[in-house]
Amino acid sequence: MIETRSVVGNPEIRKDAWCKAAGKALYTADIHVEDMKHGFILRAAYHHARILDIDISPAFNVPGVLAILTADDIPGAKVFGSLIPDQPSLADGVVRHLGEPVVLVIAETKDIARKAGELININYEPLEAVFDPVDALQPDAPKLHDSGNNVSELNVSEGDVIKGFKEADFILEETFRLPRISPGYMEPETSLAIWHEEGNTVTVWVSSQHPFTDQEFIAAALDLPVSSVQVKSSVIGGAFGGKEDSSISILAALGAQAVKAPVRLVNTRKESFLAHPKRHPAEIRMKLGTKKDGSFTALQAQAYMDTGAYASYGPAVAMILTETLAGSYRIPNVKIDTFLSYTNSPLSGAMRGFGSPQSHFAIESMVDMMAEKIGLDPIKLRKKNSLRPGDKVFTGVEMSNSATALMICLDKSQDIKDRYLAVEATPGKKTGVGMALAAQSMGLGANVPDDSTHRLLWNTDGSVEIYLGSPDLGQGLVTAAEQITAEALELPFDRVTTRELDTLLSPNGNVTCASRMTYMVGNALIDASEKLITGLLSAASVMLDFPVESLSYKKGCVLKPDGTEVTVNEITTRLAADSAVLQSESTFSFPYPEETTPQHLPIGMPHTLYCFGAQIARVEVDPELGTVDVTHFAAIHDVGRIINQAGVEGQIEGGVATGLGYALYENMLQKENQWIDSFTEYLLPTAMDLPEHFESVILEIPEASGPYGVKGIGEIPLVATAPAVANAVFDAVGVRVTELPITPERVLEIEE
Amino acid sequence: MRTIEVSLILNGLKKDLTIDPNKTLLEVIREDFGLTGAKDGCGGEGECGACTVLLDGYLVNSCMIFIGQVDGLNITTIEGLAPEGEYHPIQEAFVSAGAVQCGYCTPGAVLAVKALLDKNSHPSDQVIKEGLSGNLCRCTGYTKMVDAVQIAAEVLSDD
Repeated sequence: MIETRSVVGNPEIRKDAWCKAAGKALYTADIHVEDMKHGFILRAAYHHARILDIDISPAFNVPGVLAILTADDIPGAKVFGSLIPDQPSLADGVVRHLGEPVVLVIAETKDIARKAGELININYEPLEAVFDPVDALQPDAPKLHDSGNNVSELNVSEGDVIKGFKEADFILEETFRLPRISPGYMEPETSLAIWHEEGNTVTVWVSSQHPFTDQEFIAAALDLPVSSVQVKSSVIGGAFGGKEDSSISILAALGAQAVKAPVRLVNTRKESFLAHPKRHPAEIRMKLGTKKDGSFTALQAQAYMDTGAYASYGPAVAMILTETLAGSYRIPNVKIDTFLSYTNSPLSGAMRGFGSPQSHFAIESMVDMMAEKIGLDPIKLRKKNSLRPGDKVFTGVEMSNSATALMICLDKSQDIKDRYLAVEATPGKKTGVGMALAAQSMGLGANVPDDSTHRLLWNTDGSVEIYLGSPDLGQGLVTAAEQITAEALELPFDRVTTRELDTLLSPNGNVTCASRMTYMVGNALIDASEKLITGLLSAASVMLDFPVESLSYKKGCVLKPDGTEVTVNEITTRLAADSAVLQSESTFSFPYPEETTPQHLPIGMPHTLYCFGAQIARVEVDPELGTVDVTHFAAIHDVGRIINQAGVEGQIEGGVATGLGYALYENMLQKENQWIDSFTEYLLPTAMDLPEHFESVILEIPEASGPYGVKGIGEIPLVATAPAVANAVFDAVGVRVTELPITPERVLEIEE
Repeated sequence: MRTIEVSLILNGLKKDLTIDPNKTLLEVIREDFGLTGAKDGCGGEGECGACTVLLDGYLVNSCMIFIGQVDGLNITTIEGLAPEGEYHPIQEAFVSAGAVQCGYCTPGAVLAVKALLDKNSHPSDQVIKEGLSGNLCRCTGYTKMVDAVQIAAEVLSDD
């Protein structure tokens, strides 16, 4: 009998770590195939211009050049886009942002492709460009698309804000500005497409969050049936939302189709900066009303978001930004208007947090400003107003038991704050402590179809294989899936393995995003495990000639009525002799029950499941230099149930690091008419930039609908970070920074 | 195309090359020798450390070095850190500490730690952070990497 234990919650070591540490994990750019050709993407040299003429002839004469493609050469759909199909694979007549793909060159080597590409002459007629989301909505703004620059607009209200502000004893108004942020995954976008002459099919290796969406877009662009496109997921070098974009995979596939050979495309970091989706820059104008006793009466906000030249996931990001603008607070009267604009900036789309980091910088700064104005402690003010289970927020969503986390978070924040206040200051530095709450939704939003299907197969050696339908981006989804399956099947962790995703073989698990993967995958795999056991017992019943109800399952064995055991191996082996396999599949659909989900909002709103947390920062500010050093940091997060401690901590530690980058360093600025496009000027936090003292406090308040009580932890760790730091800076030096990042110039209130 | 002759020792084996002098060490390691543990993360700018290798024991960004510059030198890539099928204590520590997430920066970070621990067998956390400061990681927040280095330092000093 196999010795088993309870696997969920155990400190299991993720299996992929071994080959990654050995340098043997194959990422897409590491896969070698014979006779591989290489692509180069010639990109737009203007922010906005009409393409008058493309002269490819100088490049054609270069030996080794195999194909040169422009928009005219795309056999099928010339545009793609998950929400709005507005993004051209290759610019068609007009370029709308710097670095937009215009021509694809395929050659024997990457050097030949690049050199040939650089010989191509594109004759442009420059057009006026607009980079600000508010300016873009003015009547005289240059128009990017025939439909205008207003991509989407959300107007959500509850109660009566005019009445609410009348009732207020204090009213504060402030405008907050948020920068453009790169997902900053270390592996730039890449794809390898292999054309199969026989049958006119293509295999495309991707580094992507949504291989099944890639498959659809590739098929449409190549004018092939979806069944002729096989998409395979290799090891992924980070994604953080940014790899919900199919552009490079579509281009690699078009190249392979054109030259009837394997084609590799790899973006440089510069190309990644210019042409892949970012976190939306935003301007948020906020007004908050409060009574003398501290209770909030009204919140009004207008948010302007810059989605760049194409919509990407902008309309969905706008929804979460809107829904989270009231933070974790009871506010009876709320009115929020959010505008998403096309501009000639680089694309913005999905990025970890998905609108919530922007909204939280505004509301969590605002709450501290109000505490200062009315002379109340910021944590006490939060306690007075924070949501309780059963409260209805302005979208009509009723808070579940998860909201109990907020009061626990605030109590723990007080303890940690007291501890941080007692830390002695470094001579010459001014110290401050600040905190912020965080709310992050799970799921794609009401009435967005969200089915996640996964399969289990019982091998003849008794091990179980997961056909996971959604890719692991590096965060450890596979490990969570294996631990949950091992738990459900009462098997040791090492008896469960996972197949890499292949659209020909794997079920469709849907896009890996929205803090919901362990939740979706776990629910599906628990159900699939139950089905697998049912299948096992019915096979055993026939084989052993016992009524099925007299058999039971325990730890990889079937128990007969006399108490003796037959191993699964025996049963699967005998099934295999008859060419039968023991497998099961299950689909979990994200629950948005119509009777309990408010139905008055656009599709995609509201999000009904929320996770909560709090973060506390202690800073030392140099009053001469304006530099901010975060010396201590605590992150308190409710995960429902820990599946893997190191995995949860890793999400929190990495999330906070990204949050600190947002708070202090990162900003993809425009400089001399170009965008910052390298890590020399775009500063990702290094090991030196992180707090000397860091602590994670993990709460486990079970989510009733979650597998073993699980909630999401993928995004929320970076949501409260920037406002916690900004509040600490105010506490230290009395300067309220309303624009990220918190640079020395802003701390010293120097005009830039 | 002009070529040059280069001799080098790669993971203990002598290699003689006739090669395009414009190639970087990273390109040669990945494309000519098929060792893909060293990664390109920043487009050959020396900003991210994913391409880290050891050159005569010194930490270098292999994307910043032309192949002609390594003639006669000893190169250790992640594949050469431990005998085939085995793991170096630093690799084991990265795995056991949970310091590996997407793993793209891991080979470079492991080699940076190797160079660090060869010089300083008992580094403080601050020294470790300095030693890792040339290796960007977006997943881990570095916390578990620092833990891993302390574990590895302990194991290596026991040997």
